[in-house]
Amino acid sequence: MSRETFFGLNRRAFATTLVTLATSIVAYPHTSKANPADIRFGLTPVFLTSDLELLDRLQTYLSLATGAPINLITRRTYQEIIALLISRQIDAAWICGYPYVMHATELQLVAVPQWRGEPLYQSYLIVDADRRADRLADLKGDVHAFSDPDSNSGFLVTRAALAEAHTRPETFFGRTFFTYGHRNVIRAVASGLAASGSVDGYVYDVVAEMEPELTARTRILRRSEWLGFPPIAAPRAALDKEYLARLSAALLNMSEDADGRAILAMLRLDGFVREDAALFDTIAAKAAIVATEG
Amino acid sequence: MRRSLDPRGWPVALKVPLAVAALMVLVGVVLSERVLSRLDDTQERHLRELTQSYLDGLSSAVAPSILRDDVWEVFDAIERAQQLNKSLRPVEAIVAGADNHVIAASDPRARPVGTRVPAAIAAATGRETFRFDSGADRAYALRVLSYPGRKVGTIYASFDTRHLAVERRDVLTALVLTNGVLTLLLAAAGWLLVARMMRPIRILSDHLGNAREAHVAPIAPEIVAASHGEFGRLFQAYNALVHSTAERQELSKRLAEEERLGSLGRLASALAHEINNPLGGLFNALATVKSHGHIESVRVGSVGLLERGLVGIRDVVRTTLALYRTDGSRRDLMATDIEDLGLLIAPEARRRGISLTIFNTLEGSVPLPSTPMRQAVLNLLLNAVAASPEGATVVLSATVAGRQLLVEVRDRGPGLPREAAALLTGAAGARPLTEGAGLGLWMTHRLLSDLGATIRVDSAEDAGTCVSVSIPFTRDEELANVA
Repeated sequence: MSRETFFGLNRRAFATTLVTLATSIVAYPHTSKANPADIRFGLTPVFLTSDLELLDRLQTYLSLATGAPINLITRRTYQEIIALLISRQIDAAWICGYPYVMHATELQLVAVPQWRGEPLYQSYLIVDADRRADRLADLKGDVHAFSDPDSNSGFLVTRAALAEAHTRPETFFGRTFFTYGHRNVIRAVASGLAASGSVDGYVYDVVAEMEPELTARTRILRRSEWLGFPPIAAPRAALDKEYLARLSAALLNMSEDADGRAILAMLRLDGFVREDAALFDTIAAKAAIVATEG
Repeated sequence: MRRSLDPRGWPVALKVPLAVAALMVLVGVVLSERVLSRLDDTQERHLRELTQSYLDGLSSAVAPSILRDDVWEVFDAIERAQQLNKSLRPVEAIVAGADNHVIAASDPRARPVGTRVPAAIAAATGRETFRFDSGADRAYALRVLSYPGRKVGTIYASFDTRHLAVERRDVLTALVLTNGVLTLLLAAAGWLLVARMMRPIRILSDHLGNAREAHVAPIAPEIVAASHGEFGRLFQAYNALVHSTAERQELSKRLAEEERLGSLGRLASALAHEINNPLGGLFNALATVKSHGHIESVRVGSVGLLERGLVGIRDVVRTTLALYRTDGSRRDLMATDIEDLGLLIAPEARRRGISLTIFNTLEGSVPLPSTPMRQAVLNLLLNAVAASPEGATVVLSATVAGRQLLVEVRDRGPGLPREAAALLTGAAGARPLTEGAGLGLWMTHRLLSDLGATIRVDSAEDAGTCVSVSIPFTRDEELANVA
């Protein structure tokens, strides 16, 4: 469990759930599937993994809905989860559109979250609330906070935009760093540690609703076009087809269930839907630009 | 004014409370200094320990991130450390790399990533790794992070210590107030105690002061009974002294009376002699009248003799009566009183073969009581006659100069001894009744002093002694006016 997922929590909730989580994560080494009866579901900081109550409820709901014990697996970086996924050590994971398009041949889509009626979201370029800047070009020389090198909204979108301007983050910005969490990007910009940051628009809006004092110190400089929402993906060759089908059904039917709706309400999502891989073509295009520009 | 400024002149009841206050202030200052210094030590030690544990935690959290140059992780660790150590009131923490450039700071706006750590911050702790000046608003700490032998970074931290300064001020205020109140209370208690303890001394000094001016009075028995310890004994001793002084005075009075009677006896014998002398002649004249009364010339001559002798006796008796009249009636001094003194001293002078000269310029009466005047001057004359060698002359002069009566008695004696002269003039330290001698002089002094006289004694070699007495008086008519 990475540090940033601890941060900003209700400490009491953290203390009480730490033991259960620790046992669920540590007791089952990720290198082998110790208990074949488990459904192992990977989570990335793409959404609010810092909320342990949410994790607890999600685990309970999925266990009940699939009829199998659920093992939620969180890691600090996207990379670690994707590595587990493509090496077929976990049944499914909530990943980002960027790694999905990068590993499209090895992965299959299980479900895509629906937010405000669409399976789409945006990437935000945020700056200090008092910052006088209008365009990305104004941010030259900044200390810039990225979320994760494998994140679409927290890295790829800005990188692609720079690539279109024939430049690279390392040269355009004075300094960059990764916070490995969208909420951390907001914190970095709000505190002044970074002058600007690239962040998931969905996470930013949810944080703005839950912690308005944190986002109040930041301003959205630029919104990207609508892009495919971070999907839930599984290895193309499923570890256990039966389990995967049950997990898929549990997710797609979440909005039908009272507990599921409570979880969706916490996530500020409408539900999960089936979507075509074409949803992520715009992201694939951005990845292609970056690849061409080098 | 100057005397009241000199502390040596202040009363004990003031000096003791002041001394108590001064000592208390001294004790207060010393104690406060000790307490504050102890407080400073405790505050610093406590703060140092907390700071060390804060730095231990922070350095273990940031060290790997520093090596990876992970800005976010360093910042996150700092934020967590600030949150976890709220009781320590961290104000600022800066984590700098080996090149002393900021990796992350608790306030990134003030210390942007990648800027150089200001020299003032780097120097805040001086040569030490921790600095806290008692009473200061900030404490500073520094921790150099090294990975086996190599310096990888530095943590600069500062802490808000205003609450410690406030605590120190509160302690100081409490100390000053407590000491001040205690000092005042003890000074007041000291004043009360000393005033109470000094009361017997004041009683004694009041009595002694009165004794100098007037009659010596013993301390009231109820006060003596109420006093215990050394003051009780002191009072008893004082009363015993008063008692013995009173006895001495009583004795002196009695002795003076005896002396008066003694001189009266001498005078009486002289008087008897004076009367006896003409008596033989008078009886002869009487016998002559008896046997030869029929002879006219003899009878007339004898009766004349008898008359003259009786007149002489009558004069002597009258003078004596006047001198020793005891009916207490007051009569002013007359010129005849001086003449009478000549008459009174004459027999004694004749007996010793001394001639007496009187210069009497008094006219009418002088408003001074005659009886003590006559007695005093008679005593002076008796002394002069006793002191003069045979064949010498004693001179008495009495004159009035302005509002003063001047009386001088001059003799050719060997001079009045110093002690005797002191007795007569009432000089300080003069003691009457040494072996019974000098009683007459002492009596004379008392009689004249009562009249407000000034007495001067001049002795010259071969020239004898001159006793001058000057007595101021007020005329009767003036007295009447006053009355």
